Amino acid sequence: MYWYHWTTILALSICLSVLFWHFIRLIRLGKPKDYSRKSGSVTEGIVYSSTKAMVDHKESAYLHIPTYFAGMVYHIGTFVSLFLYVFFLLNILIQIALPQWLVWIIAAGLLVSSFCGFSLFMKRLLLKSMRSLSNLDDYLSNLLVSLFQLFTLLNLLYSSSIEPVYYIIASLMLLYMTVGKLKHVVYFFAARYHLGFFYGWRNVWPPHKTK
Amino acid sequence: MEKLTKEQIDKALKVLKMPADSKLVTHLNACVHCGLCATSCMYFIALQNDKYIPARKVELVASLYRRYCTLTGKIVPKLVNARELDEQMAEEMIDILFGACTMCGRCVKHCSIGVDIAYVVRVGRQMLAAMDLVPATLQATVDAALTTGNNMAIPTEEFVDTIQWMEEELMDEMDDKNARIPLDEKDKHFLYTLNPREPKFFPLSISAMAKIFYAAKESWTLSSKMYDVTNYGLFSGNNEHAAVIAQHLYDEVKRLNANTLVLGECGHGSRATRWEGPNYLGMEYDFDVITVVELINDYIRSGRIKLDKSLIKERVTMHDPCHLSRNGGLESELRFALNNSVSDFVEMTPHGFDNFCCGGGGGQLAMSEYNDRRIKIGEIKAEQIRKTGASIVVTPCHNCIDQLTQINHTYKLNVKIKSIAEIVADALVIEK
Repeated sequence: MYWYHWTTILALSICLSVLFWHFIRLIRLGKPKDYSRKSGSVTEGIVYSSTKAMVDHKESAYLHIPTYFAGMVYHIGTFVSLFLYVFFLLNILIQIALPQWLVWIIAAGLLVSSFCGFSLFMKRLLLKSMRSLSNLDDYLSNLLVSLFQLFTLLNLLYSSSIEPVYYIIASLMLLYMTVGKLKHVVYFFAARYHLGFFYGWRNVWPPHKTK
Repeated sequence: MEKLTKEQIDKALKVLKMPADSKLVTHLNACVHCGLCATSCMYFIALQNDKYIPARKVELVASLYRRYCTLTGKIVPKLVNARELDEQMAEEMIDILFGACTMCGRCVKHCSIGVDIAYVVRVGRQMLAAMDLVPATLQATVDAALTTGNNMAIPTEEFVDTIQWMEEELMDEMDDKNARIPLDEKDKHFLYTLNPREPKFFPLSISAMAKIFYAAKESWTLSSKMYDVTNYGLFSGNNEHAAVIAQHLYDEVKRLNANTLVLGECGHGSRATRWEGPNYLGMEYDFDVITVVELINDYIRSGRIKLDKSLIKERVTMHDPCHLSRNGGLESELRFALNNSVSDFVEMTPHGFDNFCCGGGGGQLAMSEYNDRRIKIGEIKAEQIRKTGASIVVTPCHNCIDQLTQINHTYKLNVKIKSIAEIVADALVIEK
């Protein structure tokens, strides 16, 4: 193992520890105490909130098809890259070779997803309304994750020459995840939970349920 | 604006620093500034100004949270747009959180993450309330409710006179001296509540509901003092005031020994009493609380009242009050009442959970300084109504009725605006 392997393992440990702290803090703060008389099902509300509510007649999706599509592909690319990151780390210890056809499929996917990431970056940079909404963290987060995906692709294809740069970028992204908006990886799920709780309690979600 | 004192700032920040549960921390950390919420907000659609993007409303509160409650915000505030709570910030918060949001929650459904934007706006209002920076016009409405028991400060004698007048009208219409509007009678099944706009401006809606109670042979009463279903503490952000107002109705149910509190036709009042009231008071209610729409539907389902749909031949549409449909779960109930009362019912597009606010919510009707904005955003609702071709708009909320009446006049819609009780009363078949 080289220095950049140890660096990235340290970055990963810090990242996971901080995200775990955020998660534990949410658990310790607990769910809302509601004294009103419940009208619906919180469980069904949360299930709906975490599934159909994310696509069901949602303006942020159907009124913004290109952005929504780019965002979806970008997020899938991020999760694939994170999975490959773990795979690459394991590969230091246990040599596992991916079949070449799979390498090319993943590479093509990551090329598209990183392109989506850079497109969203450009949209944020060029549109006045998006600039008015954005801070440095938004640009940095977007850029780091897009670079992470791009270098995952390069590391997949040209491992020996690109590896140190790849691990440095991955480490930067992991460390940055602890301070910037990338920690929405934890808070996204918490937000869906609270939304499901709120609407489930009042019998709003799932929709069209009459007493 | 006068310089904020340290005491004011400390009180406001206490709201952020002492969360009751994980909800606040979650929603303040979840927004990714994707901006896709913009097109779901009527302020942004109607006024086309970036400052009305819902994510920017969240950002006002979240930037303070980052500045005072996170390490990154304290060390490198510029990186994460962590802002100081100063006079400029407070003015911005007042203008946007009070003056450019009805807390309708439409953006919440359409947020790509699921940030409860209306909840965050309410937290921002809580901070402003803690600094005594609630707009004077809205605070006057709250103060009226705190000191007189109703938000329009209607003297008891005036209210009693109106009720007696309506009772006489009802007796004449029913040709029955037993057709009554009971006041302050104990041990009745229902304590019925009103929006003070009813005795003040729309007394016929009281007699319409009394007619339904008469037809159902119900055991009910009004209170002569604590009849106000509204609670503008929900909108001012002051939970202590909201609790005092909630306590008024709680105590009145106990004093009159009623079994059930019936919430009159008021969207926010229904929400504030049914869903938020027990939380303001920190206890479960030991009596039932239902909305008048659910009660009317019970009468229809059980056959206690009979309706003749053919009596109303005009085309009717429905405006969903945000706090009854989207935030109250009564979307289907509202339609049940209407489908049983009229023969030609047509929906607006969009409607139900997805409906646009009328523009009068969030305390906007009380804050005259934002009248121009309120009327402008009402154009969206006006166009929705126009496209239905309806000549009657029904809505079970007197604040909505007030706003719809104003946009009806401004945008020349030539429609009649009615409450649910009025439309049901129009279709009522009285069997003697």
